[in-house]
Amino acid sequence: MTQGFRKLVLIMGLALVWLAAWGCGESRAPFAGHYRSEAAYAGKGHIDLTLKENGEATWKLEQDPATLKFKWKVEGKQLFMYTKEGAVLIVNPTEDGKKLSMDISGSWHASCPVDQCITFVKVSGER
Amino acid sequence: MNSEKASGPEKAAELKLDDMGQEVVALPGGRIVSQGEAPEFFYVIQSGKVRVFRETEDGIRTPLTELGPGAYFGEVALVTGQPRTASVEAIEESRLIKISKEEFDRLLDENPRLARHIINQLSQWLVAGDRRLETETVHQVKLRQVSWFDYVLILGLSLVFAVVFNLYNDNQIPLVPQLRDGVPTISMNKAVEYVQNNGALFVDARKSNFFDQRHIKGALNLPVIFFDLQFPMFQFMLTQMEGAKEKPIIVYGGNFSRRFDLELAHLLMDKGYKVMVFNDYGGWEKALPTVAKKAKPLPSMPLGFAGAMEWLPVSIFVLFLIPPVRRSPYLSVGCRLILGVIFIGFALSKIMRPAVFALNVVEYGLTPAWGVNLWALFLPWAELLAGLFLVLGIRTRASATIIGGMNVIFIVGLVNAIFLGLPINCGCVGEVGEPVTWWKVLKNSGMLFMALQIFLYDRLFVLDRGGFVWRARPI
Repeated sequence: MTQGFRKLVLIMGLALVWLAAWGCGESRAPFAGHYRSEAAYAGKGHIDLTLKENGEATWKLEQDPATLKFKWKVEGKQLFMYTKEGAVLIVNPTEDGKKLSMDISGSWHASCPVDQCITFVKVSGER
Repeated sequence: MNSEKASGPEKAAELKLDDMGQEVVALPGGRIVSQGEAPEFFYVIQSGKVRVFRETEDGIRTPLTELGPGAYFGEVALVTGQPRTASVEAIEESRLIKISKEEFDRLLDENPRLARHIINQLSQWLVAGDRRLETETVHQVKLRQVSWFDYVLILGLSLVFAVVFNLYNDNQIPLVPQLRDGVPTISMNKAVEYVQNNGALFVDARKSNFFDQRHIKGALNLPVIFFDLQFPMFQFMLTQMEGAKEKPIIVYGGNFSRRFDLELAHLLMDKGYKVMVFNDYGGWEKALPTVAKKAKPLPSMPLGFAGAMEWLPVSIFVLFLIPPVRRSPYLSVGCRLILGVIFIGFALSKIMRPAVFALNVVEYGLTPAWGVNLWALFLPWAELLAGLFLVLGIRTRASATIIGGMNVIFIVGLVNAIFLGLPINCGCVGEVGEPVTWWKVLKNSGMLFMALQIFLYDRLFVLDRGGFVWRARPI
């Protein structure tokens, strides 16, 4: 049973490593940078979206003092942004990552729904 | 233990041999007795040394003992009449007295101590055999047993891991959501008056797909989960609506979990709005005029490997139709691996971001507010541990029961969501893009059958009480 216990601990350890790796997702580097919304939002100017390579993201509306924070990861060909309330925003990069189409419906769609889509254009890379 | 082994109280010198038998000489390496052959002679060693051993068909030898002058062997086989259970060969040149069966019978008559010694040895073997049988039986019985400890172990560990992991998780959530009191409530009759007078602004706190499906006529949608993002747009829309700023806001959209309406009400109150919620959170659908639209089926995101794995529990139904296969412990091993991998996958997709899964739990509308986060934290760890235990063969019957129980809960949740037409995400593997369908119900039913098969027939490759069982050991 001692051997079995050791085996169990080993497997649990491996599972936790796998878990950590799973949570990290793919490399964020290609998409890290500063983006700006193509259109103004809610009559308060454009949105500045910053995606940091460490998985943090900020959202700032030009004429609003509040800065919102998200977590983000890359999986497959999409970016997933997480709000602290548990909502998931799915972002489709286009034009080789120069543009991001953000679906703010909270559901997955094959392409960004027109009435719930915010398009961002890359202003600069992070680095 | 073997019939060639000799030792004991009776030495050859003490035996009354009376010129019995014939003297034989065995050269070094010479075989005197061979395992499996019919017993014909009893041997007494006069000089030299012999080796007693067992040998497999592949030629693998297990040495048992070495005997010298005065010792004897072969007596038990002569008494029982069973084939030799071991071989004997000379280590060095040995002189032996070879006594035939008839002479041996006479020898027993004249040597009662030898007879007693043989009876004693046979008795010891019998007792040892009984003990071995008992050990095997106990082991097999224990494999079939499920104790409360197993459940406490798996569920207790899951709870401990869930709470500890949440403490150090960047995406930590409170164990119990803090729903503040103090939101004024309004009766449905009063709400009807507000509708008739156009005296209040109705705000739906649910996600847009719920809102699109059915909402109060003229209501705005401000999903609480996107509050920070969409509040500026909400403010903007109020400025575009005449007199909206002065009207009280009635927030609705809560379900049994009460998360959406109460949370949004508090957030709007914090922004300085006059807010109310219904005292009967579900009454608006019947009492107030609504706009309904046939729900569009949610699009399904390609799940890749996880999606392919979903076929396995369904296809396993075919195997259950074949009785000998249905009862096979090898099928149990296959079921364990499939279920284990699927549940580990389920768990890993949820553990890191419990808030996302908690939202799924709320959307099912079957969990009370205080239990949502606990369930969202606990369930993925229970999935992970039960899945790992199934793969490793630890406490497999208890793990299968727990997984079967989860499947029952999932099936109830899914069927309820389908009948109510809830436009929700399944929350099974992916974080989004997994609509609730009958296909998911079928998949969970397949997994339930797999869990049942494991519970009833699993007994191989099991690391359990008494060691690792590699193969069937019929008693």
